[in-house]
This record gives sequence, structure tokens and C-alpha cells, in this order.
Amino acid sequence: MSEKKQQVSRRQFLNYTLTGVGGFMAAGLLVSPLRMAIDPVLKESSAGDLANVSLAVEDITTEPTRVDWKIDQIDGWYESQVNKSAWVFKDENDEIQAFSPVCKHLGCVVSWEGSEDYPNEFYCPCHDGRYYKDGTNVPGTPPLAPLDVFEKEVRDGMLFLGEAKPKGEA
Amino acid sequence: MYWKKEDINKYVQAKEYIDTIIIPLIPFQLSQDNDLEKNAFQSEVLTVFSGEIERELTGRVMLIPTYTYLKSADKESEAARLNGWVEDAEKQPFNHTFFVTFDSSWKKHEQALNGTLLWLPGLQTGDLHSKEMHAIIRDQVEQISELVRSYWH
Repeated sequence: MSEKKQQVSRRQFLNYTLTGVGGFMAAGLLVSPLRMAIDPVLKESSAGDLANVSLAVEDITTEPTRVDWKIDQIDGWYESQVNKSAWVFKDENDEIQAFSPVCKHLGCVVSWEGSEDYPNEFYCPCHDGRYYKDGTNVPGTPPLAPLDVFEKEVRDGMLFLGEAKPKGEA
Repeated sequence: MYWKKEDINKYVQAKEYIDTIIIPLIPFQLSQDNDLEKNAFQSEVLTVFSGEIERELTGRVMLIPTYTYLKSADKESEAARLNGWVEDAEKQPFNHTFFVTFDSSWKKHEQALNGTLLWLPGLQTGDLHSKEMHAIIRDQVEQISELVRSYWH
């Protein structure tokens, strides 16, 4: 057993202090580039904006069904509840499709088989715009683009929908 | 389309497609205590309601700013003023005019109006934001837009 007290010499003390302070400074310098490097990981995924539309996946059939839901939206001066709708169905590959009901012509609401004359198509009552079941506009009718497609996700068997994007981007 | 800069710009470019105007008629009064709540509520509902009809038929309908009048006002003279609005709108290619209201007193003066009156048996009270109200309004909007569409054919 050594009786000798462990003395910290002046040199050692200064060494420790300098290392400590230097370490802090280095850490301070490193933090921001590090944060930047891993930023994509920390970014909240846009999936956080998806809303539960109260539709269970197993209830979705091949027949397009209209779902309505509400989201809170802050838009300049107004904070409001906005009603959203979508046409949801499963396509032949058993994949869920969610189309925006807003006509690409002038923005009326289209409905599935909205006209008896055009079965198996989406129909816009305003100017007879038509879309095939896959959302593609029927050539020769007023709309010039396919219906927008909703961002979608399935969580715990429920369907979540986000923003409607032009087809091909979503 | 709303009476908003953004929509009007769209309207100007697509005039030939937009041939229908909808004018909500909302009475206002502050003198009859008993009716205050009802009148205010109906005003709220009709605003939501006409907004929903607009949303359904955006591409062919112009929603005119709400026509507000004193509840006790003489309907004949109000109808004359309203017809002034319609006349002005008809300088553009608008062929269909609809008035939507919860105020049944218009029904008697329907003939004086230069357009189609859609009187909706009013919702007296309730919670505008409840699920039930949402469903009721959805239902009615669907039927009204069907009616409006039938005038197009």
C-alpha cells in the first residue's frame, strides 16, 4: 500500500485542462457538420402528414368508393378545416389506388360511373370529361391530364392519404 | 369559382365553360332575440353549404358573394335589386341562375326572381362541425348538384 499521495503536478493539471477545453471546442466544431451529414435521417418524413381516412384496407374493393375526410390547414390568414375526398379501389394487381376527384379540366368533382352512358369510367358532370379506371383522361374529352394520385400508406390495416400529386410524381 | 382574384383569372380564360351563377340569400336581423341564434346558425350553414356546392361544380359555376338583406325587408324590392345583379351577370355568357336560401319567405316571391329559387327546408340548430351535420350537408349538396346538373342538359 502506497502512503504517497497522488499529486497532480502543475504540468499534468494544465494538460488535463487544455485537453478538456480543446475537446469541447473540437466537439463544438464537429456538431454542425455532423448534424448536416445525418440530416436526411432526422428529417420528418412527409408521411407524417398523411391522414387516417377511416377506411380499413380489407374493406377496399375493386369498385371505386368515395372517401371523405377532414384535415386542418393553415393557409395565409385562414386556419380552417378542409374537406378532402378521394376515389379508392384495388386495381387488377391488388394494389390500392387513390385518385383525387378533382377534374383536371376546371376542377369539378368527378364521380365513378357518374354517367350511365359511360360505364367503367370516371365522369365529370360539368363538361362531360371522362377518365378510364386507371385515371387516364379519355382523349377527345375536355381534361388534358390524368387524375391526380394521392400519396398513400397502410398503417395497422388502415388507409392513410396525404397530398394529391399529378400522376407519375406520386 | 369564387369571387376571388385567383378564380376570376381562371374564369376569364375559360368563360365559355362557366355558365351558371349561384347566389346565396342570407337574411340578417338583430332585433328579434328569439330568432337570433337560428338566423345566425342558418347563415353559417348556408355559407358552408354554398361553398360545398361550389366545390362540387367548380368548373361550371360561379358563386356570387352572398346577398344579405334585412329579414323584415320587403321581398318585392329585394327581388328587384337581385334581378339587377342577375342582369349584370348576364352580360357575360351566364345562362343559369340559382338562388339558394333557407328563408321560406322567398318561396312566395319566386315568380319575381329572374332565376331558379332553391329553397332548402332549414336546419334550425345543431353543431355545424359534428359528424352528423357533415353527413347531412354532404347528402343535400349531392342532391342539389344533381338538380343543378339537370338544368344543364
